[in-house]
Amino acid sequence: MELIIETKDLWKTFGDFQAVRGVSLSVPVGSLYGFVGPNGAGKTTTMRILTTLTRPSSGEARVAGYSVLEDRRAVRRAIGYMPDEFGVYEDLRVWEYLDFFAACYDIPENERKRLIGDLLELVDLSHRREDMVDKLSKGMKQRLSLARTLAHDPQVLILDEPASGLDPRARVEVRELLGELVNMGKTIFFSSHILADVEDICTHIGIIEAGQIIMEGSIDELKRELMETREIIVSVRDHDDAEKIMSLAQNVQDVANVEIITPRSGRFRVRVDFGGDDEGIAALNRVLNDSGVPILGFVEEERDLEHMFMRVTKGLVT
Amino acid sequence: MANLLKTGFSGLRNLFTAGQSVGDAWIDTATAALTPREALIGRVARACQWSALLNAVVALALLLILIVVPTSSGALGGVLLGSYAGPPENAMLLVMIGVTANVTALLLLAVAALAQESWTLPFLAAAAVINIAALLFLGFLPAVIALLPLAYILRLILQDVGAWHANPVSVKELRGRMRGVRAFAIITIFLVLMSTFTVLLYLLQLPSVTGGRTIITGELGRLLFIGVVGIELVLVVFIVPALTAGAISGEREHKTYDLLQTTLLSAPMFLVGKMESALGYILLLLATAIPLQSIAFLFGGVSETEVIIAFIILLVTGLLLGALGLFFSAQTERTLTATVRVYTVAMGLCFGLPLIALLLFQNAFGKAISGLPPLPDASPLVESIVIYADMLLAAINPITAAFYTQQMLIDHQELAILTVQRASDGASIPVIAPWLLTTLLYLLATAFMILLAVRRMRRNAS
Repeated sequence: MELIIETKDLWKTFGDFQAVRGVSLSVPVGSLYGFVGPNGAGKTTTMRILTTLTRPSSGEARVAGYSVLEDRRAVRRAIGYMPDEFGVYEDLRVWEYLDFFAACYDIPENERKRLIGDLLELVDLSHRREDMVDKLSKGMKQRLSLARTLAHDPQVLILDEPASGLDPRARVEVRELLGELVNMGKTIFFSSHILADVEDICTHIGIIEAGQIIMEGSIDELKRELMETREIIVSVRDHDDAEKIMSLAQNVQDVANVEIITPRSGRFRVRVDFGGDDEGIAALNRVLNDSGVPILGFVEEERDLEHMFMRVTKGLVT
Repeated sequence: MANLLKTGFSGLRNLFTAGQSVGDAWIDTATAALTPREALIGRVARACQWSALLNAVVALALLLILIVVPTSSGALGGVLLGSYAGPPENAMLLVMIGVTANVTALLLLAVAALAQESWTLPFLAAAAVINIAALLFLGFLPAVIALLPLAYILRLILQDVGAWHANPVSVKELRGRMRGVRAFAIITIFLVLMSTFTVLLYLLQLPSVTGGRTIITGELGRLLFIGVVGIELVLVVFIVPALTAGAISGEREHKTYDLLQTTLLSAPMFLVGKMESALGYILLLLATAIPLQSIAFLFGGVSETEVIIAFIILLVTGLLLGALGLFFSAQTERTLTATVRVYTVAMGLCFGLPLIALLLFQNAFGKAISGLPPLPDASPLVESIVIYADMLLAAINPITAAFYTQQMLIDHQELAILTVQRASDGASIPVIAPWLLTTLLYLLATAFMILLAVRRMRRNAS
């Protein structure tokens, strides 16, 4: 697997504060990589290191094969960066905005006109070409920003929270656009603080917490790693019943762990981590039913990545 | 040494600063060139800087000769400026002015080349033509040490003319600034105020106001001219620094500074673009006021030369203050601090300096022009020093420079070099017209300030 972004043990300290503590990332070519973590986890600092805006205190990072410490201009040519806040120039039209940034990438004037037309079409803003930038809605501005990052046809897009603060519709549009760009062969590395946002479009995920990577890999790998067992919730009427279920379930084959969890809607609940297949679940159901304990519910929890993530990182998350 | 040649002035600097690594977000295009084009730009800029240095060394050597062996310097001046008809001791001064002008031109060319300005080539051509003309008609021999590097630079530039093009930053700024009613409204208000002021000046000179004293029309014309130029100067001093001091912090406020840094835009391009947009605006205001200045022609008393010189002084003042604003902006990256600093310097330069000069030298230069003794019972050496020191101070300040130049023009019809008599021993010494010195010094300082600001910008950042 060829890597387009690779960092090794990145550290960044601001005075006493350690923003990034030993981050190692590997982003494969052509992936849509979601970089997830709560606010203040070090996402933006990592991205600023990757875009050569900030120098790491120690460690090494390579983007598109160039070192962010030595070949900084080469890195800049290879990336398109979108910060978390949209940079507005008042008094500029949409096409002038793109024209300016294209000129900043030394694209000759006679090529710019066609380029701007293509970019606006790609992000579906052709009809707003002559409008003032600050009159655009937030979603449109975000799409315009994306168009701007594409002006010099970079290999990698580094996007800081591209979907934050957007309404659901704009969010979907941005997501679709990201998918389209990946289909065009770009690698996209983007951050978000909501795992659920990332889960269904990304091919790869890295989770950062307090400046450290907690886990990283392709979605499939993560699912396999996080969800070795299936999770069954059995609801009963009271605590005694729950205790009974627990002792019963513990003796069934393939049951990894049984635990009484917090009641919900007045029902006491037992969580059974089950390592077996569907047959096994049916058997478990039979055992429990035959015991005579009144069972109100027997449900397999859906494999939700965020849900599993919360379980795994319990205690880790500060 | 080879490495030094490659890195130019920054390499020279690193020799003294022990090559500290820079934690910069703006990247030195010259040392981190990606494409042949960027390498070429770096080479051109370095060639300009080195040839400027060469000319500066020559100018200093001439100055040294002039001070150490004043008697034989006249002969040397005669050789270096073969076809000059005036007194030989003036020739040497003129040669020095010429060489310094070349230093300035080459440094400005370095800035233009670094910023990939479209006016690089025309500017180079103009400098070359002027030098050739000086060589042919005045026998100005030192033109050769400017012309040879210029030819080399021209050859470099012609390898890829497309590298020098319209500055994206100034195009963007002017597009934004000139749009809508605002620009129109500001010009209108400016013109209304200027016209009101001119009319007021005129009315104040009516016999009914002055109490029956009549005024000669030439005097009235001069008064109007000085009034308008004075207001324009105040305008330049107050507006230009404000426009450029916010150059960097303005981008930060718009959250676009990071964006610009991640593009391939270079720091010189950014700074010169900001400078151009600020100056373009001021030039527009000054140009709209030309009809008002020209009213003075109706009354007479003002020559075209004065109008042109006044405009040059205003222009170079604007350039220097703009460059200072940029420098402080790069230094602090905060609008308020940068504004306070640049206004302090601007006020000191324009209004504080004349007071200091007056206190220190008691108008020695002005007296010398008028043929009065600058100091009572001074030795010839002290008198010379006082006259020259006052001349330099006068040249650093646009107001005194303008007034002394006017005095030289009116009293002696002399625009460049004037021979004045020392009161103590009657010997004649040449003095240079302040506007010439002002122009040279200010342009030199402008180029330096921009190069320093570029350096600051590269060094700043986390």
